[in-house]
Amino acid sequence: MPSEQEKMIELRDIVVKFGDFEALHHINVDVRKGEFFTFLGPSGCGKTTTLRTITGFIDPVQGKVFVDNKDITNVPIEKRNIGIVFQSYALFPTMTVYDNIAFGLKVKKQSKAEVDRNVRAIAKKVDLSDEQLAKAVSQLSGGQQQRVAIARALVTGPAIICMDEPLSNLDAKLRVQLRNELKKMQREFGITTIYVTHDQEEALTLSDRIAVFNKGFIEQIGTPNEIYNHSKTEFVCNFIGDINKLEDEITGKMQLDASCHHFIRLERVHVNRGECDLNLEGVIESREYYGLYIKYYIRTAGQTIKVIEKNDGINIYEAGQTVTVGINREDLMSYPVQE
Amino acid sequence: MKNKSEWLKPSLIWKVFGIAFFVYLFFGFMLLPCLNTITQIFTAKNAAGEIDPLAVIKFFFAGNMPSYVWNSLKLAICLVITVNVVGISIVLLTEYFEIKGAKVLRLGYMTTLIYSGVALVTGYLFLYDSDGMLTTWLVKVFPGMNKEWFSGFNAVLFTMTFACTSNHMLFLRNAIRGIDYNTVEAARNMGAKPFKVLLKVVFPTLIPTMFSLTVMTFITGLCAMSAPTLLGYDSINPEIVRLAGSSVADEAFPQARAALLSIILALFTIVLLTVLSSYERKGHYLSVSKTKAKLVKQKINNPVANVLAHIYAYVLFIIYMTPVVMIVVFAFQNYPAIRSKTLNLGDWTLVNFFGQQDYEYLTNRGKYKTRVGSISGLFANSDTVGGIRLSFVLSALAAALACVIVVIAVNYIFKNKGKKRSTVLEYSLLFPWLLPTILICYSYRTYFNSNDVWYVFNTNLYWMENVRFLIVMAYTVVKLPFALRMVKAAFYAIDDELEEAAKNLGASPLVTFLRVKLPIVLPSVLAVFALNFNALFTEYDMSATFHSSYGKSYAMVIQNMCAEEGRDGYNINASGRRCASTVFIMIVSGIILYLVYGVGARDLGERLAIREKRRKRVEKIKAKFTGKKTNNAA
Repeated sequence: MPSEQEKMIELRDIVVKFGDFEALHHINVDVRKGEFFTFLGPSGCGKTTTLRTITGFIDPVQGKVFVDNKDITNVPIEKRNIGIVFQSYALFPTMTVYDNIAFGLKVKKQSKAEVDRNVRAIAKKVDLSDEQLAKAVSQLSGGQQQRVAIARALVTGPAIICMDEPLSNLDAKLRVQLRNELKKMQREFGITTIYVTHDQEEALTLSDRIAVFNKGFIEQIGTPNEIYNHSKTEFVCNFIGDINKLEDEITGKMQLDASCHHFIRLERVHVNRGECDLNLEGVIESREYYGLYIKYYIRTAGQTIKVIEKNDGINIYEAGQTVTVGINREDLMSYPVQE
Repeated sequence: MKNKSEWLKPSLIWKVFGIAFFVYLFFGFMLLPCLNTITQIFTAKNAAGEIDPLAVIKFFFAGNMPSYVWNSLKLAICLVITVNVVGISIVLLTEYFEIKGAKVLRLGYMTTLIYSGVALVTGYLFLYDSDGMLTTWLVKVFPGMNKEWFSGFNAVLFTMTFACTSNHMLFLRNAIRGIDYNTVEAARNMGAKPFKVLLKVVFPTLIPTMFSLTVMTFITGLCAMSAPTLLGYDSINPEIVRLAGSSVADEAFPQARAALLSIILALFTIVLLTVLSSYERKGHYLSVSKTKAKLVKQKINNPVANVLAHIYAYVLFIIYMTPVVMIVVFAFQNYPAIRSKTLNLGDWTLVNFFGQQDYEYLTNRGKYKTRVGSISGLFANSDTVGGIRLSFVLSALAAALACVIVVIAVNYIFKNKGKKRSTVLEYSLLFPWLLPTILICYSYRTYFNSNDVWYVFNTNLYWMENVRFLIVMAYTVVKLPFALRMVKAAFYAIDDELEEAAKNLGASPLVTFLRVKLPIVLPSVLAVFALNFNALFTEYDMSATFHSSYGKSYAMVIQNMCAEEGRDGYNINASGRRCASTVFIMIVSGIILYLVYGVGARDLGERLAIREKRRKRVEKIKAKFTGKKTNNAA
């Protein structure tokens, strides 16, 4: 648990309802100062609703939102001092890049000189040139547009910045590139960041901590390592990364608790390694070639086990080849069977 | 204390004011006048002076009134066929088939976009009338020909067939350009012949558009006004106008009969629009393609068919272009040339546009008399200038009013999406769409022609100059549904997140509306303003229904030009001025369409790019200039 003075955002027992539908059930989250905190989950799980409750677009029917130990539950949106980067970026299409960034400052009635100084300062920080400032937003690339959106959200000097799936509109390559830029910028600005995504890879690479949402509940809050390697619930372990569910034959052989479901990550299954807690003979069914690694489907003990092997040129197996599959007890994640 | 200040909040005052305004507009200028028209039917007095609710209806079936309804129906049905045939042909010829010179053909087929209504009908009259150019020429070739061939039903059908293809050129053209060419290729790949592809793959995707166009054409035919009036065809609308101006002394309950006819027209319109909207609600064939391929024009492989298609295309082109070319040419000719319909290539003039000339003529007594300033240009003739000025002011006022009302309403509708009050507001603004224009105007004319309407301060709005206010209101109300549909479509372009972003950055609702939302919809709003202004500027139907010397619109002045030519040495060059008027209208419409679809369609990026280009060009010229200067100095 973070100490009191470290806390930036506190959500206490938040309940949000849309008509009769309860979208958030008693949500409790603490976000530390300067932290990159991600809300992760499938669509409709309540992650965006939680973000919108923090920014003030949604009023909770129960619970309180604290920022810097101040209750802001009833503070209007514009007075919360929280910047937002929207999924669509929501850049004003009728304004130039400069006017987009200046909008919030002008609304706050800053003098012309002040506005100009602030806009140019933030533009420099996010790497936007004077030439780009004079352009229309439609003339910029996706990555540049994102930087404008971030600059616009940061220029008014918010204590917190919220990002709602800001990379989801981009193609895969740009997504990875901007992900790195985003992290770099956050580190430089040192600003508390709430990030919403359904992409687990994005969450794992960017976040200091992650909250995994499911059906309006938080399943687990933890560091990427905790979430991935020590998933608290069956939902989390299934949602994050690929995984093997062990069937009765293997669990029987390993004498595992029958009242639980047992899982093992793909990279924790060993091929032709020996000296594991359980060593089984299996036949390669098929393989998928990914370049960096190879994914094998191995038939053993009445089920198909998926395994990932580094493509290092040493352990390359052909379909039909017989191999040994090794599993260690310490790599298993077990969850009680729910009725 | 707190309660009092809550009550006096400015937002609440605005809300109450807004609601009051829309209630006033809907009841005062839509519902009550029209209800009054309905009651007119059932409160007509019979010969004995008693109120007989069925008198008019009995009269309807006893007299010749059904013939007007039948004539209108006949026109509507025939128009649906001819307009669709011509409309589909011109779209296929310019967009689907490979026809040589398609670009030029398209320009010709699109001329109806810049001149329509009275301007177009008088143009056709100029050519095909009994002493029209083409008729005169034809009679010379075929002496036995009936000089009066261009009148009545045939003339109306012919004129309207070519006048009413504008919508095909706009909407069907868009639909055909939206076809995914891969579907055509797929059909060809599976062995379908070109004609089969057209019939089985292309046409089905056009059916929704064609259905809408058919219904709209049918309604246009039913409610036709300028063509039947000018070309002499007894359909419903001209008869309503005639009856509205008639008195009980001349014939049996003319007002009640006019009311009945306009209600019949309204019933037809309502039924047709209900059919259309229920069809539209069923959903359309939506293209499922994610990556559409651009349509490639189809070559007609059969040489005979190819030649026939080309001949057909160019015959249509000639029909479309001849009146336009003739009018433009004769707008710059002197009155003797126009009278004798012979081009005088050695004598061009601007007198039909600017300036005045005297006219000397021989009286019955054998003396020569001079009528000072009898030959006058469009912008020198007080009558014409008056008509232009009046139409300009009234149309601009009404178009602006409609835009303001609709923008405020649509902003409210979007803020209260899914709530009953926004639906009520939307439907009340769409209400005039169900009513034929003539019903609204006729209702205004009769309802406000009294001192008893309390909510307009017991003022007779049909009296003298007041009629201008009535015309503005009629123009505005009639244009509300179109404005609403267009502006609503524009508001859909505003992402909810934009509004939230503005709010998050600290903007109040008013600032958000003025600085973020309005600039986004402004091009569409200005386009609606321009298109409405364009339509109203040369509007004929409404001002003809009001028929008042204080509300003599430009179109009415043009109509008069057909009648008054040369009488006692007056208005010698009325025909020339008529041609000049059409040229003027074409220029105004052309500029407006260019502004709307050319300039207005550019986004900020394109505008900035153009500005940058222009700046560079100016710099280049400057550099050249200053460079030369320094050279000279050196």
